[in-house]
Amino acid sequence: MVTVLLVILGFFAGLLGALTGIGGGVLLTPILALYFGIPIREAIGTSLVAVITTSAASSSVHLQRHTTDIRLGMTLELATALGAAVMAYLVGYFNRNFLEGLFAAFLLYSAITILTKGGKFRQEDALPPAANGEIVIPPYEPRRYPLGLGASLVAGALSGLLGIGGGPIKVPVMYIFMNVPLMVATATSNFMIGVTAAASAIVYYRRGDILVEDAAPLAVGVFLGSLLGARLAPRIHTKVVVYLLVAIMLYLSGHLAVHLLRGWL
Amino acid sequence: MSQLREPAFDRAVALVLRVGAFSCFFLMLAGLLCGLFVPGRIPLGIERAGVLLMLATPVVRVVVACFLFFREKDYRYGWISFGVLVILMLGAVFGIGEH
Repeated sequence: MVTVLLVILGFFAGLLGALTGIGGGVLLTPILALYFGIPIREAIGTSLVAVITTSAASSSVHLQRHTTDIRLGMTLELATALGAAVMAYLVGYFNRNFLEGLFAAFLLYSAITILTKGGKFRQEDALPPAANGEIVIPPYEPRRYPLGLGASLVAGALSGLLGIGGGPIKVPVMYIFMNVPLMVATATSNFMIGVTAAASAIVYYRRGDILVEDAAPLAVGVFLGSLLGARLAPRIHTKVVVYLLVAIMLYLSGHLAVHLLRGWL
Repeated sequence: MSQLREPAFDRAVALVLRVGAFSCFFLMLAGLLCGLFVPGRIPLGIERAGVLLMLATPVVRVVVACFLFFREKDYRYGWISFGVLVILMLGAVFGIGEH
């Protein structure tokens, strides 16, 4: 029964992720912790598997459109993988309540950011269909590598800490500071998420923090959901979906805070 | 100069990711369905294989890119890919077994 619920949960997280361009990890971790009784660290490790699944499926699509800068992605991955692996290692020594509080704060922050920016970095803005079906990318040369690597280290550390992709940091940094076109930044960020999440997931797995019996149904659901989401994306009014996502994030953030307070009182 | 537009390179890397994602999906699905009919530890073993394959897919992607860069004599990015691979391996070696 739990297995069926996990498939359904993964399906909706994958669907929402593909429709909004916001990864499913940010929803899966708190839901696993709050409603499936999985301790927060195991919830993070388990949802990392779903994050890798989403990244592998979606970045293979981006790669076929030739919008991914593999060289830039690989360079920044030096920093994201390092940050993710080191932070995943340190998480083993963190207090669980601290992790839960951090996650609640992060959810609140992300929800506010999405609301104020109005989902500026959405998928369809980043990938406009060209008239002849060919995507035209103006020539560019990435700049300010030290800044990009620094931001990637932070994004990687956040990924290892909370089991998320870190796209909301990498995309603006590549786009605004590194002189990379938005659609390339989005595709490259997506491409990097797989390796970043794997760097931390390997450490979580070694520690026994990935619950295989929960990760498998979740990943199956996420895979199906993101496939359907990718097909529906052009036909669905994204604004409504973004508001739905923000509402869920705010609710989960509040519930996590209440859950924490109950533990203390 | 744009660093993009190397269709063969992109396709090779995309193939790794696609094969990895699809085979994991079918392995995990097989594990779930197997769990309905077969008692014991076999279904969990199949699911574990799926999870491990999913963790290995990005690693294989780095290995393939590393190989392709060296074959193109693009040593700079070959070594960068190798560096990423080393970081991934360090996590596997120094990750804590039990905690």
